[in-house]
Amino acid sequence: MKNLIKITLFFITTFIFSLSVAFGETPEEKGLRLAIEADLTGDGFIDTVSKSQMTLRNAQGEESIREFSSKTLEVENDGDKSIFIFHHPKDVKGTATLTFTHKTGPDDQWLYLPALKRVKRISSDNRSGAFVGSEFAYEDLASQEIEKYTYKWIEDVPCPGDEQAKCYVSESYPVEKSSGYKRRVSWVDIEEHRVRKIDFYDRKDKLLKTLVFSDYKQYLDKFWTAHTLKMVNHNTGKETDISITETKYQTGLKDSDFNRQSLKRAR
Amino acid sequence: MNIVFKSVLLLLLTIFSHSAYSRPSILEFETEVTVASWLFPESPLYAGQKDNNYSIALESELYAEWDKGDSFVFTPFILLDSYDDNRSHLDIREALYSWYGDDWESSVGIGQVFWGVTESKNLVDIINQFDAVYDPLFKTKLGQPLTNLTLIRDSGYYELFILPYFRERTSPGKKGRLRGDPEFSKGGTKFEGGSQWTPELAVRWSNSFNDYDLSMHSFFGYSRAPSIDVMIVDGQLKYEPNYQRVRQIGGTVQKTSEATLYKMEWLAKDGQKDANFRRGGYFSTVFGFEHTLYKAIDEGGDLGFLMEYNFDSRRSRSNDSLQDDIFIAARITLNDPDDTQMLFGSILDLDGDGQMYQVDFGKRLNDSLTFGVKGAVYQNGRYNSNLYILRQDSWVEINLKQYF
Repeated sequence: MKNLIKITLFFITTFIFSLSVAFGETPEEKGLRLAIEADLTGDGFIDTVSKSQMTLRNAQGEESIREFSSKTLEVENDGDKSIFIFHHPKDVKGTATLTFTHKTGPDDQWLYLPALKRVKRISSDNRSGAFVGSEFAYEDLASQEIEKYTYKWIEDVPCPGDEQAKCYVSESYPVEKSSGYKRRVSWVDIEEHRVRKIDFYDRKDKLLKTLVFSDYKQYLDKFWTAHTLKMVNHNTGKETDISITETKYQTGLKDSDFNRQSLKRAR
Repeated sequence: MNIVFKSVLLLLLTIFSHSAYSRPSILEFETEVTVASWLFPESPLYAGQKDNNYSIALESELYAEWDKGDSFVFTPFILLDSYDDNRSHLDIREALYSWYGDDWESSVGIGQVFWGVTESKNLVDIINQFDAVYDPLFKTKLGQPLTNLTLIRDSGYYELFILPYFRERTSPGKKGRLRGDPEFSKGGTKFEGGSQWTPELAVRWSNSFNDYDLSMHSFFGYSRAPSIDVMIVDGQLKYEPNYQRVRQIGGTVQKTSEATLYKMEWLAKDGQKDANFRRGGYFSTVFGFEHTLYKAIDEGGDLGFLMEYNFDSRRSRSNDSLQDDIFIAARITLNDPDDTQMLFGSILDLDGDGQMYQVDFGKRLNDSLTFGVKGAVYQNGRYNSNLYILRQDSWVEINLKQYF
């Protein structure tokens, strides 16, 4: 059903596009069209499970390590459901979050604290906050829904760090007031819609962070996944790397794996 | 208690024989050791009590999970205190076997259950008894023997608990602080209307509707807080804890509205004796809000404000210190790599019957070591109130926790 709507949407936009070729497509229309095309390439993943290691590095080069895993379920006609579980360091082991992403309006989010056995409903307004003390904000790691941004195409250029490939540069503007960004500038390759780089601009429109994606691998002949993400904070000189050590698609997760009861037993 | 340990042993044996023919797909073993020092700046009121004490606590967790969704967790705990024999104790925090399906979960053994939404106190959190000697801020609980069935339906989560055995609250001994005089007599505890083996029953429903999280529960069993019997035995004054059978219904509401959480817990209870030893029904509630200013501190620290009002219809006859009190607190979460967190709280009695201040600070020193400072100040309690009893016992705990 979700696919059907998206495909219909795709054809409508393509139709509008072909019309607008005659009349000229605005940069905003082109930005949205490209975002929908990119989103479609990720459609139908059903579910994913991944394990990641995060390296936090301060300006002096001191490192600390985090380990976590995540499970995501594709939901028809709404945003994805996901669970994050922390494994390392040991004092946060077992701490987990459950998020129901919504296409419009605030997401629903619960936090499980294993020492207290407490499931706490938390505000999704913390989207701009640092994810476990890293340079990633919660919103950088959240499921990316088309409706959460408005778009504008800027130009087509050679991809950063990969001059052979051609990228389109597109700006996206968060809809939610609680976002920490005024805009994001993304470099995405035209061939496979893989995001190569994102510049994040803060609310004052100052360049805050840069995220570079690499080590793309394709799963099930369809889904491209970056296995290395490098975030640099230009204000503080701090860096965070995420290395995805394991990814599986279509593992057979069910809706019942994403409720407050299963959050308590997530490992 | 002996019998509880025997049943645990039996459960363990069953599990191990089970694991012999089907190997668990996940098997984990972890231990944490906490060394702590309690400092009491004011001199003790009673003979035998000390100014400071030291303790070491060890908690291990064995976790096994089988492919078909069965799991077993075993968490023994031991606390050794430098002076107070009553504070030194052994507990089984968990020894729980669980099964689950798509829309149900069931467990049997010894477990830990948390109910509640507010921060100053959780009125509705009835399943487990507090380990009051280990944690005078009432966050740590004793393991509770239980059987549970949880059904997950579109209309909500339905939980049924049968609790076959009642756990007494731990209390300090003669050398311990944070007590009245004399200390609770050993072996004198009364269980009115039954024994420790009289079963208890609890049912609960909870669900989320957009930004509202609701729950309702009902409980038939012993009140977790004792009332105190004053006895004269051989010309000696004695205090003995007395637990009464109660019937209660209660509920929780939380509304999550952007950066503000509105919270309420309420309870209607019958059967418990008040501070004047009168049995009767009463109503109590705690409600308030928590508002967080995200990224208000430095590069990404959050600053939260909490305010809650505690009410108990028995007012001054209540054996709960929080009966007409305002709780105001600030929570700081630095979101730094060390996970630095602190809470400063104050509880003010609106009738002018004293104040209490608390602090809870924690940060990570390295990947397997954390550091914490906790404490409470008790001031101006009305004569003979719970707060008055603690007037010389304001304390600070400094702890280090090593994970293995």
